[in-house]
Amino acid sequence: MRHREPLSPEAVRDLEAIDRALAGEPVEYELREIEDLVRDVRASAPEMSPALTARLEREIESGFASTPSSVSEPKRTWALPRLRVLVPAAGTVAAVLVALVLVTGPGGGSDEGAVVNASRETTKPTAPASDPPNADTATADPSFQKDLERSSGGAAATGSAGVVPDPDAVLASRNRKVERRVSLVLQTERGKVASTADDVIGTVDRFRGIVASSSISSDDQSSEAVFDLRIPTAKLDAALAALSKLGHVAERRQDLQDITSSVSSARERRDDARAERRGLLRALGRATTQAQIESLRARLRLVRSQISSAQAQLSSLNRRASLSTVSVTVRGDGKPGEGGGAWSLGDAGGDAVRALEVIAGVALITLAVALPLALLGGVILFGSHLARARRRENALDAT
Amino acid sequence: MAEPLDTAPASFDALYRESARDLHAYVRTLLHDEASAEDVTALAFERAYRRRKTFDIRRGSQRAWLFGIARNAALDELRRRRRIAPLVTELEDQHVHALDEQAEQSLRRAAVRTALDALEPRDREIVALKFHGGLSNAELAAVIGTSESNAGTRLHRAVTKLREACHAPS
Repeated sequence: MRHREPLSPEAVRDLEAIDRALAGEPVEYELREIEDLVRDVRASAPEMSPALTARLEREIESGFASTPSSVSEPKRTWALPRLRVLVPAAGTVAAVLVALVLVTGPGGGSDEGAVVNASRETTKPTAPASDPPNADTATADPSFQKDLERSSGGAAATGSAGVVPDPDAVLASRNRKVERRVSLVLQTERGKVASTADDVIGTVDRFRGIVASSSISSDDQSSEAVFDLRIPTAKLDAALAALSKLGHVAERRQDLQDITSSVSSARERRDDARAERRGLLRALGRATTQAQIESLRARLRLVRSQISSAQAQLSSLNRRASLSTVSVTVRGDGKPGEGGGAWSLGDAGGDAVRALEVIAGVALITLAVALPLALLGGVILFGSHLARARRRENALDAT
Repeated sequence: MAEPLDTAPASFDALYRESARDLHAYVRTLLHDEASAEDVTALAFERAYRRRKTFDIRRGSQRAWLFGIARNAALDELRRRRRIAPLVTELEDQHVHALDEQAEQSLRRAAVRTALDALEPRDREIVALKFHGGLSNAELAAVIGTSESNAGTRLHRAVTKLREACHAPS
């Protein structure tokens, strides 16, 4: 506890007398008692034994190389230095690891410039090539339906087509209908956009796909070609691989949507309508009055309309499953060399910038993690120091 | 930047020769046990030797630094002793000194010694630091972790109690 109470003049005088007496200087006559006290206390000071003197001189001479004294060192004396080193070191290592995972792992880094396994893929692009190209051959058997309900969280039961939570489980069933949408951004030199666009169309033809729409635009700074393609799902992976070779893949996204429940629902509606139509035809054959015949014909017209509607929906869904939608954008605002070819000085500069960005990111995240850890460690060390000091003072009071 | 103690053996040896006796007396007064006092004195010098590069002249003199180390070692010894067994105070063999000195002086010093031992531990410690260690009030404050004025106040209070105890009828 610190006090700032001023010393009285008498106290100052006494303390000065003590200092003078300790220095061997003369003290005022009225303060001779203090001088005597100093002399007596000093004279009654316990003397060092010759053994201790010899021991100390020996150890100092040898640089305390011999065994430490018998007084036990508090364990903390040795443990704390280790903590001082180990805690920050462990924190730094952990922070660097976290930073590396965040920067280099999936989902880390910048959104742009991703390669084929782009982080924005929402599902795994592993649709089996053995998917039936003709959707009419697919049947919604009960076991499959249950399986789908389990894998899609009940979406199939409600008849709505939702995003599949577990694509592997969905794709495991060969009867499932999956709609795939891929978005691909290719980077190339500005002057190569037109030739790359031709290559895109050639690739689509090679895989028997359809160019639903295409457009090419350019200005002083950049040039861009946009394609809306339909590629047979069975050949999608091969087509994507071929398209990716036409330029630097700046971005790739892929969405997978299970439409099996929608297909099943449409098929059931169609089959129900067909069964109803057969029943109506049989009833029409048995009709005896004109009124009955008119009524049945009216219902038959309605049922035929339902059958046509369900069939059209079924066909549309099957097309969506058998033809994947691929959106390709060819951008020509890249510097020469970015679209492929030999590794150049520009590439080196770009790589260097990227490396610096990664290093800066790692450093920033490391700092963000290490700083709180360091503060926490500092607080712990400070608290430990205070606690130890308090325990020492308590030991003095307890004597 | 810390200004380390001159690491030359001669410098540390000088510090040892200048302060060993006083340091031992201070530790002995604090611990009330000769064997422990010898060990703690040796430990204090050992610690000071190993940490001599961390000495910073701006934080006080070498002597105050050494007494601070000794104080921590002595308090650690007191803590250890509390955990192991109750303190058994070693009785002072005062009559041995008395045989070697004049009777009156010997009696007076024995009374001083008894009075010093009867002081509260904190009072006894600050008297020992001042009288045995010869530290200035600023150095006292640095060693016991308080302000200089508070150290002076505490020292004066302890000395007053010591004087009163010396005059008290035995």
